[in-house]
Amino acid sequence: MADTSSPPALHFTGHRHLVERLVLSTLTGRPIRVTKIRSSSVTDPGLAPYEVSFLRLLEAVTNGSQIEFSYTGTALAYRPGLITGSAAGHGASIDGVLRHEIPASCTRGVSYFLLPLCLLAPFSKSPVNVLFTGPGVITSATPTGDVSVDTVRTAILPIYEQFGIMNKLEIRTTQRSNPGPGGKGGTGEVQLIFGHQVRLPKTVHLLNPGRVKSIRGVAYATGVSGANNARMIEAARGVLNPFVPDTRIFSENTAAGFVPAPERNNAAAKRKMGVGFGLSLVAETSTGVRFSADVAVPVEGGVPPEDIGRKCAFQLLEAVEKGGCVDVVAAFTALTLMAMGSEDVGRIQIGRDVLGSEDIVQLARDFKTFGLSGWGLRDAGEGSEDIIVSIVGRGVGNVGRKVA
Amino acid sequence: ARKLHGRKRPYRTGELARLLYDDNLTPTEVLKRWRGEEDEEAEVEDEEEFFRKAKESAAEQDDRMIPDYDYEELEKKWTDPENFEALRKRIAAGGLHGRSGD
Repeated sequence: MADTSSPPALHFTGHRHLVERLVLSTLTGRPIRVTKIRSSSVTDPGLAPYEVSFLRLLEAVTNGSQIEFSYTGTALAYRPGLITGSAAGHGASIDGVLRHEIPASCTRGVSYFLLPLCLLAPFSKSPVNVLFTGPGVITSATPTGDVSVDTVRTAILPIYEQFGIMNKLEIRTTQRSNPGPGGKGGTGEVQLIFGHQVRLPKTVHLLNPGRVKSIRGVAYATGVSGANNARMIEAARGVLNPFVPDTRIFSENTAAGFVPAPERNNAAAKRKMGVGFGLSLVAETSTGVRFSADVAVPVEGGVPPEDIGRKCAFQLLEAVEKGGCVDVVAAFTALTLMAMGSEDVGRIQIGRDVLGSEDIVQLARDFKTFGLSGWGLRDAGEGSEDIIVSIVGRGVGNVGRKVA
Repeated sequence: ARKLHGRKRPYRTGELARLLYDDNLTPTEVLKRWRGEEDEEAEVEDEEEFFRKAKESAAEQDDRMIPDYDYEELEKKWTDPENFEALRKRIAAGGLHGRSGD
């Protein structure tokens, strides 16, 4: 993509929407320059550890990317390369698994890395197989607003199916973890296998949200009693059962992972990390649309599991009420895939409050800056308050695939 | 949201389409205008300072995937039978599949 005559860099400011811009940059091949990254912050200016970690991941799954930081980390220049995926001998091990270590200072859940990586993966040259490991992998939902890995697996991955990307997609959670002390670090281990690469994603017309027919969920308790799960599930069911009798919430009770904590007389000492519990709920409609909700216990603790269960259930109802064919969490994924599709008009119905959120408005503007098509908006009609967004695909698709 | 819909036609789709790409406005301003929350423009000067501060702190925040909900509000909203019933039309008739379980 970055050929002899590469287009001039696009300029952005601020740390917000950084990941989304990096993803769009990589997909469209436009280099970007971001300045004033937390430049006004007194305590920690510049890129945060998780953002640097994401840049490293980006470097690992692409070939020929150039990343330059300024001395303070408040400015960043990124020139994207080809998305190669986990090609053996290119950072990946012989069996094609790329290990990505997340530093212990990471405050974001692993979904922060998973969602953008999943967006790049369909356009990769070879399959993407990344093992997230290290002292910073948090699989639960986090207070910083990330969804849990269960939500990614049960609510986000199915979106790809609508775009004709459905084979060999898997997220394996081998070790669960909540955020560690101070919301930093965790001991989780997650493997993403994304083995379905396409030339172009299908053009979609998601116009029928359908009606909620079932609710599934995962309650996880890591390093604490499994009774917490039962209590969360009971509280959530208490709210949701009158709505949807077909509610099933699975219980995952696992031991906490260990991190090395050397002591004076025992250099090999280890200590438990990332204990806690949380709940992920996904409502599925008759047309396969999924709404998700995620709540985990705060790092300080002190919240009974019943509260977590109820909060999560309320959050799910809120997401269902907002309506549309994608919820807030999934909108970025769905809209980006639409914009990367073939040169045809794709349509998607989105709830008014989902579209009318800052992130989505900014996304629309960023799409335009990157030369993707503008959005056409119109009312859904038929008694629905949703809006239909139509996006013309750019038809660039998978450059690596074209050669292969 | 329901209450807002009643007021002199905010939330118009065409309006958003127009505002969406108006680069003179920040996304926050776009949404404010779209929701028809412009009326409060009368209060100026010393309150403006306050708003600017509030906006700055919002800009300092990191990106979130899950919106920051006020759970007490949500609890109030969803334990209200009226809202509860209103949502029922979005739900498929339950229990027909014979696997309602317990």
